[in-house]
Amino acid sequence: MTTTSGESVVSYRSKTITNRIGLWLFLLSDAFVFAGLLVSRFYLLGNTRPELNQILGLAVTSMLLISSFFMNRAETAASYGDQKGFSRYTFFTIVLGILFLIGVVGIEWPTAPFSASDGAAGSLFFAMTGFHAFHVLTGVIFLIIVYRNGKKGIYTAERHWPVEAAAVYWHFVDVVWVFFYPALYLMGTAIG
Amino acid sequence: MDENKKKEQYRIGVAVFILLAMMTLGEYLIGAISPAWIAPLVGVAILKAFFIIRDYMHIGRLFEPEGENNE
Repeated sequence: MTTTSGESVVSYRSKTITNRIGLWLFLLSDAFVFAGLLVSRFYLLGNTRPELNQILGLAVTSMLLISSFFMNRAETAASYGDQKGFSRYTFFTIVLGILFLIGVVGIEWPTAPFSASDGAAGSLFFAMTGFHAFHVLTGVIFLIIVYRNGKKGIYTAERHWPVEAAAVYWHFVDVVWVFFYPALYLMGTAIG
Repeated sequence: MDENKKKEQYRIGVAVFILLAMMTLGEYLIGAISPAWIAPLVGVAILKAFFIIRDYMHIGRLFEPEGENNE
């Protein structure tokens, strides 16, 4: 049995297994950078946190969570050859990712009552959200590429590694926010 | 057969999403009531990460033997 590109399914699966290990190793190394930022937050701020918009924090967190849900559905749809479902759910994921970026970079950043040069809290807030937002942006770009390729009918039930990679990367970005959200918005006493 | 499998996958996705949404709401409430409760907030975050990594990122696929169907 061969795929549309002529490559055997067994060979494709074998490559996918190697690709998976590569992707997870990359994510693991990336996680150390995020962990470093998280440790810095506790070392420098202790039991305090920057004064932030709580409703906006919950809203952007919800957006990322819902986007992860749709990404999971998009990947499932792709793995069963459901092209329409894949396109629909990937589109929702992209929109929610963009809304997250607007919420953090477009609203939270300009309205924050401090700047990046206002001590440790300001520096950490912009470093953590900035580095994370950059990952969200690259995830959105990755998803747009996968969405366009999906529209062209490139992916099949047997051959959809790029979709799986985009999904794993997107969920990783969500996992990072799972730790950043309470560390920045919920833990400790707010300092103006 | 495939359609049933797909529906089952979707159901797991929904169940995990509901769980994550409830935990997010829970941590928001903990943060609002007592921001000094760092340990419970860390616990909830670890639990949320566990479900995402297991059910959405499918970490189990890393340990599948070669040649086995990945779907």
